[in-house]
Amino acid sequence: MNLFETLQEKKKQILSVWAERTLDSYTSSGFFKKSLDTIANPTGANIREGLSRIIDLLLAGGDQQEYAGPLDQIIRIRAVQDFSPSQAVVPFLELKWIIRQILNDNKNTRHLTQELTDLDCEIDRLALAAFDKYMECREQLFQVRIKELKSGSYILSDSPCPSSLLERTRVDDSGKIN
Amino acid sequence: MAIVKVDKLAKSVFQGPSLMTGSYPTKDWMEVPAVFKPGNFAYPAKKEKVEYMNSQQGLSFPNAREWWPEDDDWKLPENWKEIIINGLKDRLDKFRSLKIFMDCCVRCGACADKCHFFLGTGDPKNMPVLRAELLRSVYRNDFTLAGKLLGKMAGAREMTVGVLKEWFMYAYQCTECRRCSVFCPYGIDQAEITMMMREMLHLVGVGINWILEPASNSNRTGNHMGLQPHTFKDNVDFLVDDVENLTGVRVEPTFNRKGAEILFITPSADVFAEPGLYTAMGYLILFHAIGLDYTWSTYASEGGNFGLFTNNQTMKKLNAKMYAEAKRLGVKYIIGGECGHMWRVLHQYMDTMNGPADFLEVPKSPITSTVFDNAASTKMIHISEFTADLIKNNKLNIDKSRNDHVYATWHDSCNTSRGMGLLEEPRYILDNVVNNWVDMPENAIREKTFCCGSGTGLNTDEIMEIRMRGGLPRANAVKYVHERYGVNTLGCVCAIDRATLTSLMNYWVPEVTVAGLTELVGNSLVLEGEQRQELDEGLRTLV
Repeated sequence: MNLFETLQEKKKQILSVWAERTLDSYTSSGFFKKSLDTIANPTGANIREGLSRIIDLLLAGGDQQEYAGPLDQIIRIRAVQDFSPSQAVVPFLELKWIIRQILNDNKNTRHLTQELTDLDCEIDRLALAAFDKYMECREQLFQVRIKELKSGSYILSDSPCPSSLLERTRVDDSGKIN
Repeated sequence: MAIVKVDKLAKSVFQGPSLMTGSYPTKDWMEVPAVFKPGNFAYPAKKEKVEYMNSQQGLSFPNAREWWPEDDDWKLPENWKEIIINGLKDRLDKFRSLKIFMDCCVRCGACADKCHFFLGTGDPKNMPVLRAELLRSVYRNDFTLAGKLLGKMAGAREMTVGVLKEWFMYAYQCTECRRCSVFCPYGIDQAEITMMMREMLHLVGVGINWILEPASNSNRTGNHMGLQPHTFKDNVDFLVDDVENLTGVRVEPTFNRKGAEILFITPSADVFAEPGLYTAMGYLILFHAIGLDYTWSTYASEGGNFGLFTNNQTMKKLNAKMYAEAKRLGVKYIIGGECGHMWRVLHQYMDTMNGPADFLEVPKSPITSTVFDNAASTKMIHISEFTADLIKNNKLNIDKSRNDHVYATWHDSCNTSRGMGLLEEPRYILDNVVNNWVDMPENAIREKTFCCGSGTGLNTDEIMEIRMRGGLPRANAVKYVHERYGVNTLGCVCAIDRATLTSLMNYWVPEVTVAGLTELVGNSLVLEGEQRQELDEGLRTLV
C-alpha cells in the first residue's frame, strides 16, 4: 500500500486522535468530545466536522480554496476563545505528528514516514492559511466593536446629558467647582 | 510557553497533555484562580455613579471608590468579609428560594452542558452547577454543620478575596437567561443565584459601569440614555417624519397626555438606535392604523430595568416609575413594547414588589374587546399579545408580500419566552405578516432558546470576545437555517437582542440582519390614504 492508501485506511483513527487532541485544549472537554449534535454542542461538533472535512481534502488533494470553509468552521470559533494566536492554530501543525505517530506504530507502515514531505508541505500551507483566517476573524471582531461604538450604543454609558454639560461649563467659566 | 525539544514534543502529542498547545493544567477547580486581563472583564462602575446611586432614597450602593479588576488590591473595605457573610445571611433569611437552591442541588449535571457560556468556552466554572458552587461553597462553610465540621471534604471553603474575584468574573459571565433551569430536575433558578452574587458584590462596591450608569440615568431622567423629555420627544418626531416619507401618512403620537386610554412604554433604544428605530416606526404605524387612544411618556420613557442586574431595591424602584406615571396620567392600562427584562421583572417580580396595580383596569382591547385576563393583576400587556389579537380578529389590513424581501427565523428572547411564556403569539404574527419564515432546530428555540450572549447588562463592547463566544450557540443555530433555507432575517422582541444580535450576526453570519417583530408588522400594514413608495426593504428603505 502506498502512503495515501494507508492514510485513507487509517483516516478514522487519525481523525479520532486529532479531534481528541484539539478538543483537549478546552479545560472541560468531556461534552465537547461526546456530543455530535452541532446545535447542542457548537464548539465540539463544528471543530470535529471541520477537521474531518480537512482530512478529506488533504487526502483528495483538494484545492487551497476549498479549505476556506472548514478552516472558517474551526478558526472562527477559536479566534474568540481564550487562546493565544499560536494555541488557536496549532491543531493544524499537530496533524503532522499524529500522522507520523500512527504510521510509526506499525512496522508495515513505518517506512512510509519517509514519503511525508509533500503532505507536510500541504499541512504547513494549511497552518498558514489558518493563521490568515485567524487574523481575518480578529479584524472582523474589532470591526464589529467599532461598528457598535459608531452606532451610538456607547451613549448608554459615556454620554452626559445636556444638563450636566451645562454644569461643566459653569465650572469652567468660574474656574472653581460649584 | 516553554520551548520543548522535538522528540519530546512528538511524544507528547500522542501520549500526554500537549506541550505544543500548552493545554490547561488539570487542577481542582478551587485551586484555579480568576485571572483578569483586558477583554475578560467589563469596566468597573465609575465612582461618581456609585455615589449617586447610594445617595438616592431607598437605594444602597456603599463603598464607592476607584478600583480596577486587574489590580491585586481591589481596595475593599476593611470589614469586607463580614459585609459579605452578613449579606448572605440576610438574603438566606429573606429569600426562601435562595436557601432551597443552596441546599437542594444534587449535582446531577443536567445543567452543565446547557449554558451558552459553557458551550462557548469549555470553562467548567461556566457550568451552571459550578457557577452556583462558587456561592454554595461559602454557604456550606458558614451556614451548614457539615461544612463547619468537614470543611473542604463537604465542599466548603472560606470566603477569601480570591473567591470574591471569582464571583465577579463568573456572575458577569452569566446572562441570567435561565436555560439551565429548564433542564434542572429541581428547577433551581440559576439566574437568582447570579443575582444574589451580584447583589453581594455591590455591598462591597464591586459592580460594572455598563449596568450602573444606565440604571442611574433611568433613576434620574427615566431612561437608560439619560434623555430629557424634549430630546425623547424630538427623537419620536424624527420617526414620525420618516414614517411620512415612506408611507405618505402623518402619524400623530401624543406625549404625557392625561386621560389617554393606554400608556405605551418601550425601551428607549427603540426611539434612538438602529435597528430599534424601525420597530418604533412599526409601533407608530400600527397604533395609527387602528386609531388607538394612547400616549407615550417622556418620564416613564424606558421599558428596560437595569435594576434587575444590580439589586432588588433598584429593580423595584425602576419598575415602580412606570406605574407612578400610569397613575399620574390616569390611563386605564399599559401596553409594553419589545423589551426583554422589563417583562421578566413584570412577570416574575412586579406583583410582589409593587402590585397589584389596583388603580388600573384589567386590559381590554378597545378594538376587539378582548379582555387580557392574564394581566389581571399587573395591568400591562405585551405588544405581541395585543397585535396577535388584532390579527386574529381581522382588524389589520395586511399585505404579506411587502415582506417578500425577508426570509425570517425567530429568536425567542430568554426573558419573554422562559420568563413569561410568550411563545405562540410571535409565531402567529409571523405566520400572518411574512410569507417566508422557518424555526431553528427544536433544541434552540422556545423554552430551550439560546441567549444572545450579551443580556443582563453584558452588552458592552470591551468584552466583545466573551459576547461572541457566549453567543456562539445562538449564532450557530441561525447559521444552520441560513445555510439550509437562505434565512436573511432574525426576528426578535427585545431591545438588547436587537442591538447585540446585530453584532453577533456581523461576526458569525453577516448575511443575516436583525429585525423587531413590530418592524415586520409595520412593513406589511396597508394604511388608509397611504401614498407608499416602492419599499424594497420595508421601513429600512432609503427614500
